[in-house]
Amino acid sequence: MTTQPLLVVENLQTHFPVRRGLLRRVSGSVQAVDGVSFSIAKRRTLGLVGESGCGKTTVGRSILRLVEPTGGDVRFAGASVRGMNARDLRALRRRMQIVFQDPYGSLNPRMTVRGILEEGLVIHRMGDARDRLARMRRALDRTGLTAATLERYPHEFSGGQRQRIAIARALVLEPEFLVLDEPISALDVSIQAQVVNLLVELREELGLTYLFISHDLSVVEYVSDDVAVMYLGRLVERADAAALYRAPLHPYTLALFSAVPTIDPARRRRRIVLTGDVPSPSRPPRGCRFHPRCPLAESVCREVDPPATTLDGHLVHCHVAARELERSAGDVRAAAASIAEAMAAASAKPASDAAAASGTLKA
Amino acid sequence: MPLLEINNLVTAFHTPAGRVPAVDGVSLSIERGKTLGLVGESGCGKSVTAMSILRLVASPGVIESGEILLAREGGSVDLTQLPEPELRKVRGGRIGMIFQEPMTSLNPVFTIGDQIAEAVLLHRAVPRAAARARALEMLKLVRLADPEQRLDEYPHQLSGGMRQRVMIAMALACEPDLVIADEPTTALDVTIQAQILELLSDLRRRLQTSLLLITHDLGVVAETCDEVAVMYAGRIVERAPAAELFANPQHPYTIGLLAARPATGVRHEGPLRTIPGMVPLPQNFPAGCRFHPRCAYARLPHCAGDVPPLRDIRPQHQARCHYAGELGPATGEKGDAAHFPHFSNAGNELRPLFPEGGS
Ligand SMILES: Nc1ncnc2c1ncn2[C@@H]1O[C@H](COP(=O)(O)OP(=O)(O)OP(=O)(O)O)[C@@H](O)[C@H]1O
Ligand SMILES: Nc1ncnc2c1ncn2[C@@H]1O[C@H](COP(=O)(O)OP(=O)(O)OP(=O)(O)O)[C@@H](O)[C@H]1O
Ligand SMILES: [Mg+2]
Ligand SMILES: [Mg+2]
Repeated sequence: MTTQPLLVVENLQTHFPVRRGLLRRVSGSVQAVDGVSFSIAKRRTLGLVGESGCGKTTVGRSILRLVEPTGGDVRFAGASVRGMNARDLRALRRRMQIVFQDPYGSLNPRMTVRGILEEGLVIHRMGDARDRLARMRRALDRTGLTAATLERYPHEFSGGQRQRIAIARALVLEPEFLVLDEPISALDVSIQAQVVNLLVELREELGLTYLFISHDLSVVEYVSDDVAVMYLGRLVERADAAALYRAPLHPYTLALFSAVPTIDPARRRRRIVLTGDVPSPSRPPRGCRFHPRCPLAESVCREVDPPATTLDGHLVHCHVAARELERSAGDVRAAAASIAEAMAAASAKPASDAAAASGTLKA
Repeated sequence: MPLLEINNLVTAFHTPAGRVPAVDGVSLSIERGKTLGLVGESGCGKSVTAMSILRLVASPGVIESGEILLAREGGSVDLTQLPEPELRKVRGGRIGMIFQEPMTSLNPVFTIGDQIAEAVLLHRAVPRAAARARALEMLKLVRLADPEQRLDEYPHQLSGGMRQRVMIAMALACEPDLVIADEPTTALDVTIQAQILELLSDLRRRLQTSLLLITHDLGVVAETCDEVAVMYAGRIVERAPAAELFANPQHPYTIGLLAARPATGVRHEGPLRTIPGMVPLPQNFPAGCRFHPRCAYARLPHCAGDVPPLRDIRPQHQARCHYAGELGPATGEKGDAAHFPHFSNAGNELRPLFPEGGS
């Protein structure tokens, strides 16, 4: 099925200045997002995963221009978001909503839930008072909250309840596209399942399109059509969800998948522990950004930024993966298997890295 | 003697709309060097329990009854009775707290270096420079990139997971005897999560630190906790050693929780399993067993009439259910198989089977 993409992100770049010293002079920049491209077709969901601090939230916020990108472009339904004036942008923000990562920080503590939900409706002049109330009730009902919630303040709710209020606030405007930034991380599993089912249902019923950011890899797999993996401001791999989970090609993706906590002791033993320093987004390593922590790194990885290799819609930025794909004559699964084997062999020695580091904790 | 022992804690909010008993008779204990996991549905009272320990429950919340005993040389002290100035020394000193929402506990107008150093200065008689050095060391320990640069940054300049790690650094800076960690890794990817959990286990091994870990991630519980307490609607409904709980869940609520997880590597069609119904709010907790309106095994009128006691079902394993240990197949109106999972219990591994067969 080929549909016109609803959202196109093209070589997006968002850098933040680093200021130092008394005069707060700009001494460098945090390259939070550094050349990211993807597109999402209408009614589809792109899952976005990656290390904490790799730039996922910044991608989401840049799309809505809640932070100003420093390069590249975002096109929504054909229109360039970066080129929009304030008025067009306001109209756009009804069609595109974001559910923020920190539900407490994003709910005004001095407003009741009614005030919080109604604010957007008023700004966008949607409905009269009665109609607005009906919309609010519907949004609360959809997120498993009762109408009694309306007159209460955010601090009267638990973390998970607040997250549902945040989702209700986004839904009440009936947007077409939602950035969901860790929408379920504050929720317990049974509510998680309810919210995930809700999001899937809304997508089917209302034809919504999602960018779904999450650390929960099994939920990402369940919700997403495609999944993109980010590392240090860049995409390192992107594929159809089933294909990515079946045959991950990038060593970072493999390490990530292997670290999922599980109640199954047998799976725990096959864990790949990443060693090496945590990378700096203001001084990213040259060559492949992952090379200092990659068990498979070779000399070319230290020098040359790996270009994209794409096979059957499976995209990867990795020299080793490119070579394996060539060697297996385009058999993605075979290439994935040999990379997995090499990773397992390279990290067979138990790395007591964390233990060594915490040895310095002596007051 | 356990390091921390909570007996019959009742914490309620007195709102204009009435009394909200968020924590309603909770008893828990944590031994030195052990990790207790506290799990349960959103709104069941986990955070209020944690906040009660340090008497941080905000007005109109009140600890109405119960005791919270912290062991100390030659006996123990009841934290609910301790004068405020002494309690302030316990907070961040003997007990470190990692809050559920980083932004509520990080001050937006101070740099993170200052905030961690301040926490150190409050409890240790060290020069300011040493406190700052300690702050830097802690940031390295929680694996923040560019720690020197981060010291001078403000909370809004950090990603969600970085803020969470700053809070962890702050809570651990004074090497507390007990760490209360309320969803400490929700904002972290699994690789960093694994490193943070390893850091906590290492503290436990080296310093006999105890940990109260509140989380909804059952995988994390399985990998980190010695014991698990499951909470529902203000009460503990099940308690057991971690491996035992996952192998033999006894309370229908726990069984439902274990079934709600999607498994990785299996493509699911159709919706995920959920526990039917909504979480009751404390102002209208159901009578009898508080889970009965959502329970596939409920037998009426018994379950709606009598409050089940927390009782021994198996060795070291308690559950608050009239029929635990003899549940059999689900009965009653909610008992159609659609609501409850069937478990396959092959060897050591327990995993719910999804409608389409899955693994
Ligand atoms: N307003 C800001 N000012 C300065 N730096 C920022 C700002 N917002 C984000 N950054 C930096 O940009 C980088 C990426 O942050 P971002 O929040 O996008 O990460 P993330 O992938 O969402 O991480 P997490 O999973 O922890 O939420 C980080 O190094 C962060 O410190
Ligand atoms: N200030 C308050 N006023 C009234 N009710 C409150 C207040 N604070 C908390 N509550 C109620 O107390 C109950 C328990 O809240 P708590 O924060 O302990 O839940 P939790 O188990 O930590 O949930 P979550 O997993 O979502 O964080 C909730 O139903 C909440 O609505
Ligand atoms: Mg983020
Ligand atoms: Mg909580």
